[in-house]
Amino acid sequence: MGVEFEPRIVGFLCNWCSYAGADMAGTSRISYPPNLRVIRVPCSGRVDPILIVKSFQMGADGVLVAGCHPGDCHYAEGNYYARRRFAMLRPFLEYLGIEGDRFRVEWVSASEGRKFSEVVSSFTNQLTELGPRATGAAV
Amino acid sequence: MSQIENVHTKARELLESQAVDCVIGFGKGTTGGSRPLFVYGPEGVEDLIFDETCAHNLAKYLLNRKGKTTAVVLKACDARAVNLLLSEHQIERDKVYMIGVVCPGIKENGEPRDTCLRCGQRTPVSYDYLAGEPEEATVDAELQYKGVAEMEAMSMAERKAFWEAQFDRCIRCYACRQVCPGCYCDECFVERLDPLWVGIRIAPSENEMWNAMRAFHLTGRCIGCDQCERVCPVGIPLSLLNRKLEKEVYETFGYEAGMDPEAAPPFATYKKEESLGFGE
Repeated sequence: MGVEFEPRIVGFLCNWCSYAGADMAGTSRISYPPNLRVIRVPCSGRVDPILIVKSFQMGADGVLVAGCHPGDCHYAEGNYYARRRFAMLRPFLEYLGIEGDRFRVEWVSASEGRKFSEVVSSFTNQLTELGPRATGAAV
Repeated sequence: MSQIENVHTKARELLESQAVDCVIGFGKGTTGGSRPLFVYGPEGVEDLIFDETCAHNLAKYLLNRKGKTTAVVLKACDARAVNLLLSEHQIERDKVYMIGVVCPGIKENGEPRDTCLRCGQRTPVSYDYLAGEPEEATVDAELQYKGVAEMEAMSMAERKAFWEAQFDRCIRCYACRQVCPGCYCDECFVERLDPLWVGIRIAPSENEMWNAMRAFHLTGRCIGCDQCERVCPVGIPLSLLNRKLEKEVYETFGYEAGMDPEAAPPFATYKKEESLGFGE
């Protein structure tokens, strides 16, 4: 009997909104799947596309970037720059043969504990359906 | 006067008046073809040539001459590279004299380069002096994304297999980076040891890491001279990566790199009210 597939998700959460949103989920006792490995970053604008590509290379099944809603960035404009980069990265990943659905960008504010939980749950379900990422000869 | 005679006259004039210290142009290669030629005095200008073998993008050499006055012979694609460097504040406009030449389309081994078939831009977009007679641009939209569209039509698994086979050959010599006018970081991510973005071991995924990030770093910056593909010793179709990003940038932001040195590069600016498909 095979072991059931559990996707591994790397999550880059902005310190000011989404990380606090994850905290809110915790203090509100809202559960979410344990598949997410959280990396706290100062801003979604800090998330260099190389971090995402590297995560995939190191075997992540999915990468989540969550930051403040557009207009609410702690640094006023970090997420505006970030989303431009991600908008170009996603089709590029698809072009290289990594399903675009494996890369998700979400805006989660500090008060949206419920939304954070929903995001992680739906992403985990989606990745479970997609199955493990087919990797090449050696990773 | 022919185009090259105009180049000679202009180069001599610039060097004699000491308006520039050096003219970078094309010279005759030792085994046929051409090579980059640096002329430091009026006596050397007769060695400058320009023909359909002049494949190099000379804009790259301006990065080694920061702060020094330089004239440079530029084809259409090379002039765009100068505009790229200007828009990124890598070189100063008043230190560079752009000698534009009308490009006949470059040939390699007697065959026109794919890039040159795609590019209808014979006359540089920017120049201080144009040596030839300006020609109308004839851009064939069909041809522009040829190959890219075919790639997009493939299934995910086919594309993955395709790139795996391509990157498998990569020997990570970094010739593509060395020749690229847009690759000028003092320390490239690939040379970083901490964090080690690209491992030293020989593995397909490390090759993929390098090739993916090299291309992505040129998003909205690649001016399509295809020098990377020209110098690749193992023949990886790098322009398929570059042109995919070029296409995405053009369709999303309406931006073409190197066309206007004053225009803000797409990643250096933003619009508050834009919808990029992230649930805005």
